[in-house]
Amino acid sequence: MRLQIPLTIILVMGIFTLVTSFIPAKPIADVNQMFRNWYIGIITFFIFLGTFNLARSNAEKIKKQGRDWQYSIILLAFLGIMLFFGFYRGRASTEEGQPFMYLYFNVQFPLESTMYSLLAFFVTSASFRAFRARNKEALCLLLAAVVIMLGRVPVGTAIWKGFPTVTEWIMNYPNAAAKRGIRLGIDLGLISMALRMILGIERSYMQ
Amino acid sequence: MGVVERLSRLDRRYIFLAVAIAVTLPIFFPIGLPIEVTAPVKQLYDVIEDLPERAVVLISIDYDPSGAPELQPATLAILRHCFKRNLRVLVLGMWAPGVPLGMKALEEIAENEFHRQYGIDYVNFGYRPGGAIFLINLGRDVHDVCRTDVYGTPVEDLPMMDDVHSASDIALVISMSMGVPGSDQWIWYYHARYRGKLATAQTAIGAPRYYPYLQTGQLIGLIGGMKGAAEYERLVQTRGLATIGMDSQSAAHMLIIGFVILGNFIFWMQKRKR
Repeated sequence: MRLQIPLTIILVMGIFTLVTSFIPAKPIADVNQMFRNWYIGIITFFIFLGTFNLARSNAEKIKKQGRDWQYSIILLAFLGIMLFFGFYRGRASTEEGQPFMYLYFNVQFPLESTMYSLLAFFVTSASFRAFRARNKEALCLLLAAVVIMLGRVPVGTAIWKGFPTVTEWIMNYPNAAAKRGIRLGIDLGLISMALRMILGIERSYMQ
Repeated sequence: MGVVERLSRLDRRYIFLAVAIAVTLPIFFPIGLPIEVTAPVKQLYDVIEDLPERAVVLISIDYDPSGAPELQPATLAILRHCFKRNLRVLVLGMWAPGVPLGMKALEEIAENEFHRQYGIDYVNFGYRPGGAIFLINLGRDVHDVCRTDVYGTPVEDLPMMDDVHSASDIALVISMSMGVPGSDQWIWYYHARYRGKLATAQTAIGAPRYYPYLQTGQLIGLIGGMKGAAEYERLVQTRGLATIGMDSQSAAHMLIIGFVILGNFIFWMQKRKR
């Protein structure tokens, strides 16, 4: 029963959702709408579930003094501070000058931007060490990368006016063709995976 | 140890230092190279230019602070263009950490620069959870899924929303996106059902995957990274953060190309030696 009930729910709901795409008529469409509203409710609940799990796993790490457990203290402290300042004045917390907004723009914003910008340092280091023209294919990729890097910045246009045009051509033809192929492959895989789940062949998500 | 051997063992901290210098110097000593406008950015600009006055433009803030250096300048430039054209703007977002960014952008452009009236000229619905399902519901009935705005005002009390009920009342959707949920969901679940005009602004790393949608007409415009934002700033004739950042980006790209050439030269020399 522990296996059959969830499999039956997925079979019924999967077929129902599929059918509603072809029959948007009144009773079926209304039930479908109800399910959609439930979904938004469930998704919203996941935010609380995620926050709770984050707090629990980090609390356990501190308790067991696992690897880099000191960082978990900082994480939990800031989680608590942001939650407190986010809740204590309700919607007014997002008004200008409030502590929540101050922390958002002066702590969270620069920290996240800095983390993302570190990519520039690692990409440059990797380009020096790993981006090698070992064969014809790698050389082709390397040349395309150099042209795109030049075509995407004003200095490229200053060197040669044709760089943006060549870059757009690479984006519109070789890039778009490859992306389209990858996308089709992913989508066919998704359809087959969905069918496998609806029919109960794929059960790994239940483990 | 020869020069080539020493270069091959270059401490990566020197590389990091070179990047820091390349990115920082142009901020203090700007070069101001001219910015060429590419077709995907011009297409979006032209669509906004052709919209009738008071048409509704929906801007979806689907990014967080990590994507803000690339996407916030584009948001500001688009808002500036919309208010200059006397369009109405509806802002919402599927990323909770992006809400303050949308609020700040509206405050800077709508309130301070154009002195537009909240509830009449623009509305902010803040964070909307549900991803794909939210978008399906949004196109069907905006009032049903956006019952209150970000400040808790009921949608019935917002005069701008009196004639905005479904996808057919929205002239243009622009998804400012750096991941999921984002532009993919807008294309697959919103545009596929309700059609209409849809454009996107992406981080530089995400932009290439949207070119197929641009070719099929599912997207009417594409702003790619800080360069795209700088192009839009040029079109709306402002010198914003993206334009200022272009010199740094030029220097960083040249540096990377330099290191690629140097790395391959070392590789070639070592191969010859062997």
